Amino acid sequence: MTSHSITHEDEFRAGRELSLDHRKLGMWLFLASEVMFFGGLIGTFLHYKATVPSPESAELDTVLVGINTFILVTSSLMVVLGLDSIRRGNRRGLLTYLGLTALLGAVFLGGQGYEFVSLYGHGITLTSSVFGSSFFTLTGFHGLHVLIGVAWALLTLGKALRGKYSAEDHVGVEAFGLYWHFVDIVWIVLFTIIYLI
Amino acid sequence: MKERTPLVIVHVTVALLAAGFWVAQNVNLMPAEASTRAALVDQLFRAMLGLAAVIFLLVEGLLLYSVLRFRRPRGDEGDAVPVHGNRALEIVWTVIPALIVVVIGFYSFRVLAASETREADPIVVNVNSRQFSWSFEYPAEGVTSTDLHLPLGRQARFLITSADVIHSFWVPEFRVKRDATPGQIAELLVTPSRLGTYPVRCAELCGVGHASMGLTSQVVVESPDDFQRWVEQTRALSGDPVTAFNTLGCNGCHTLAAAGAIGVVGPALDGIGQRAASTVPGQDAATYIRTSMVKPGDHVVPGFADNVMPRDFAQRLATEQLQAMVDFLMAQ
Amino acid sequence: MTSESIAAKPVPAWRRYFGWSTDHKVIGLQYLVTSFFFFLVGGAMAGMIRTQLLAPDSTLVSAEAYNRLTTNHGSVMLFLWILPVLAGLGNYLIPLQIGARDMAFPRLNALSFWLLVPSGLLMLASFFVGAAEAGWTAYVPLSVAGPDGQTLWAISVVLLGTSSMMGSINFVTTIFTMRTAGMTFWRMPLFTWSMLATSILVLTATPVLTAGLVLIAMDRLVGTLFFSVSAGGDPILWQNLFWFYSHPAVYIMVLPAMGAISEIFPVFSRKPVFGYKMIAFSSLAISLLGLTVWAHHMFTSGMDPRLRVPYMISTMIIAVPTGVKIFSWLATIWGGKLRLDTPMLFALGFISMFLIGGITGVFLAAIPIDLHVHDTYFVVAHLHFVLFGGSVSGAYAALYYWYPKITGRRLDERLGKVHFAANFIGTNLAYLPMFLAGLLGMPRRVVNYDPRFTELNQLASLGAFLLAASVLPFLYNVIVSWVSGPKAGDNPWQAKTLEWKTTSPPPAHNFDMPPVVTEGPYDYGEAAQGSLTPSPSAAGD
Repeated sequence: MTSHSITHEDEFRAGRELSLDHRKLGMWLFLASEVMFFGGLIGTFLHYKATVPSPESAELDTVLVGINTFILVTSSLMVVLGLDSIRRGNRRGLLTYLGLTALLGAVFLGGQGYEFVSLYGHGITLTSSVFGSSFFTLTGFHGLHVLIGVAWALLTLGKALRGKYSAEDHVGVEAFGLYWHFVDIVWIVLFTIIYLI
Repeated sequence: MKERTPLVIVHVTVALLAAGFWVAQNVNLMPAEASTRAALVDQLFRAMLGLAAVIFLLVEGLLLYSVLRFRRPRGDEGDAVPVHGNRALEIVWTVIPALIVVVIGFYSFRVLAASETREADPIVVNVNSRQFSWSFEYPAEGVTSTDLHLPLGRQARFLITSADVIHSFWVPEFRVKRDATPGQIAELLVTPSRLGTYPVRCAELCGVGHASMGLTSQVVVESPDDFQRWVEQTRALSGDPVTAFNTLGCNGCHTLAAAGAIGVVGPALDGIGQRAASTVPGQDAATYIRTSMVKPGDHVVPGFADNVMPRDFAQRLATEQLQAMVDFLMAQ
Repeated sequence: MTSESIAAKPVPAWRRYFGWSTDHKVIGLQYLVTSFFFFLVGGAMAGMIRTQLLAPDSTLVSAEAYNRLTTNHGSVMLFLWILPVLAGLGNYLIPLQIGARDMAFPRLNALSFWLLVPSGLLMLASFFVGAAEAGWTAYVPLSVAGPDGQTLWAISVVLLGTSSMMGSINFVTTIFTMRTAGMTFWRMPLFTWSMLATSILVLTATPVLTAGLVLIAMDRLVGTLFFSVSAGGDPILWQNLFWFYSHPAVYIMVLPAMGAISEIFPVFSRKPVFGYKMIAFSSLAISLLGLTVWAHHMFTSGMDPRLRVPYMISTMIIAVPTGVKIFSWLATIWGGKLRLDTPMLFALGFISMFLIGGITGVFLAAIPIDLHVHDTYFVVAHLHFVLFGGSVSGAYAALYYWYPKITGRRLDERLGKVHFAANFIGTNLAYLPMFLAGLLGMPRRVVNYDPRFTELNQLASLGAFLLAASVLPFLYNVIVSWVSGPKAGDNPWQAKTLEWKTTSPPPAHNFDMPPVVTEGPYDYGEAAQGSLTPSPSAAGD
């Protein structure tokens, strides 16, 4: 059998000419599909917000969740700082900021859990009304994405600890960062349409 | 060869257009036109059919001609003369279809607007659908029926809804349908233009009785006098259990000779009066019949499905109506 | 960067096809065979349906069983046959056509196939617990109340959509980042272009269906009130979520088939494709326009009457890029030196039958006509002309064309022609009468019908049985030729796209030397200047 070498650089030359890293492109495409998935759920929420009266939405705790939103946005800043660190070869900075990202993400989830429990206490549940169904499904799927993100942050942290990333090659961190920012942006949209308007 | 080409194109074009016109004038694929909008729809359809004939003959003709004329000559393994494109031709076959589309779109819009224009003093009919029958309620006339009677020439304003799943109210001779969606009322305007009796069909899959849903109803377009007579007759019969049997939709699922009902989704009711006493041990006939109407899940006749018969007859019927129905069925 | 050395695995060739492989060629073939199996399953269901419909009041099949048959016939054919067979072709061909070694994400690729298998089995398993019976369109509230199989159906479709999206992430990334030297976008084969256009739709539209299915599943499993009318739920919401995907889905199902026949016409006419760029652009145009038309399935729903018109317009506009393709194909074969081998026959049949499907699509776009024929056999006829006369013919054309490359053998031409004739006659016989039945008043999804439609239904059933029979020469041909057909050689069709510049079948790494491209994929008739760097055939591969 013939055996030969094809280097990675050769394989993805076309991508490099377009300044596209295939792993990042793959992530962008995945995120595009995720945007459409949330779009379907957001459309559902907005449709029912407009057509079915929901007096129970007065129980939403805008202040608490507003603070929670700030926490999630801050966690995105942590990712930016972490990426900036590793670009300059600062491995310790990356570790710190990844840790903070995961921590803030977990705090966000805690805050969401508190809001959910509080609403349940007021009789607003997944099955109590159309509002309840669409609220908890939409924010629930978002929370699931945050949870996956926190796990991913920790996995990335683990890889960073083992020295997998350098100033020259940290595509994995960038890919994680893209995902985390997406989760954050989706939340900003959700917070706006659920709590603010 | 090149000098003949424009002549060939002209001849072919004329032949195609002639074929198209002929098709548009002579090919009728539709059932009878029984509404004013049907006439408009059919004109649009025939025009489009003529156009479709032209396009179809053109493309298939070119295809067939090419297959016959341009077959590889035996032994010729070479390539053909390369032609990568022709800007003018590509523009032509983009612009002409675009223009055709604009014309069809505009014409369709005109037909639509004309079909849905409100006229004064329409006759209002509430179309109430449920699994698996139609009920037509005339609020102004104060009658309800499983048949849709309409006076000729007067616009009917249908207000269509469903009590359970989505159905679709379709009268092919009217050329229009509208979905019956639970929780919503859809309006449909039709002006009947031809005397006669026409089928009404359910056009949205609604369960096991979907195909048989239209069997129990028909559309009757009659003169205003005949329509008035029918209203009065129906009003007189409104307490009658046979009428109730049909307007409540029992005929959608059950067979009962006395009511002319031929439904097959549920058990046949001929002879129910004889069987009722011995169907459920310990239950006398009247109790069995009443229970099977208001709590149908208590005893499901073998061979038939549970969860199909509506469970709300206790709410829908007044006590006297329920008793009248039980008495009626006891006598069958 | 370390270089990767690719050594062949010491596993008997046939065994690789039953296990986890990251080779796109193995995965592609796994897709092709698996989806063809489901084609036969869906076809068997069709056979039962058409047998039931031989008589207007037949009791062969109960109403309940009939609703389950029609629901699963549609679902199996769309989700488990057409979508995966075209994805399988894409999988096999894209790296070869662009001169790459494999897909960008080989393990993701394997995963997307291995998601397909259990999902398909799950859909079939639903028959054990009461199969879905609300139509492949699963309108609510009917589907929320249905038997347990409806939940399995919903889960199955979600998984299949996920598999589909994974595939498209691979296709787009591979096309953008792995084209070989000299393969500019304007030198890419049209099949690859069509897979690019298709993938845009997959990634944009599928997730919306997923969202809708999640809502149905939650209503069924957890008791949410999304489609509970008494709580304020809106059945029309489901229709919007469903059709937002399911309309683009039909373009997902036809664009690759169109791409395949765009490959076949130049080869079998020995002429360049006429209007290459316009065909590429038209694929993109159909793709993007296809995202804007979904509510033309809802003209009778009671939706705001004013909103219907923009959808009519956008739907009719799609006829324009479609026409561009058809005329470009005609201009390609015009003046050519036509070789009427089986792939070419199926490609010609595609134009002939897709034309009918496409024209009747414009009829359906015209709102006044749609209000009459929506949800009737007119639609059933239209959809089968585009999907069977179109996509399936295109798939057959592709399979006959690329079979030698995939297997290294030639298919028997006489059997191929018999298959084509039976397929062409069967398709027309089965579906032309249905147009008439719909116009005259026969609704869809009916277990029994008005006796006035009897002759039309009997003709249709006859055509369907002919179609069923037509599969036999194909199956026989494929199996026997694989074992003992004549060897194909590298390039039996003397085509110019890159997949033909390597052996049949290709080695695991596709090309011994990464090809360098200096001319377009359809430059027939040109003097051979700077043709592709020849790759030496590996002996006995």
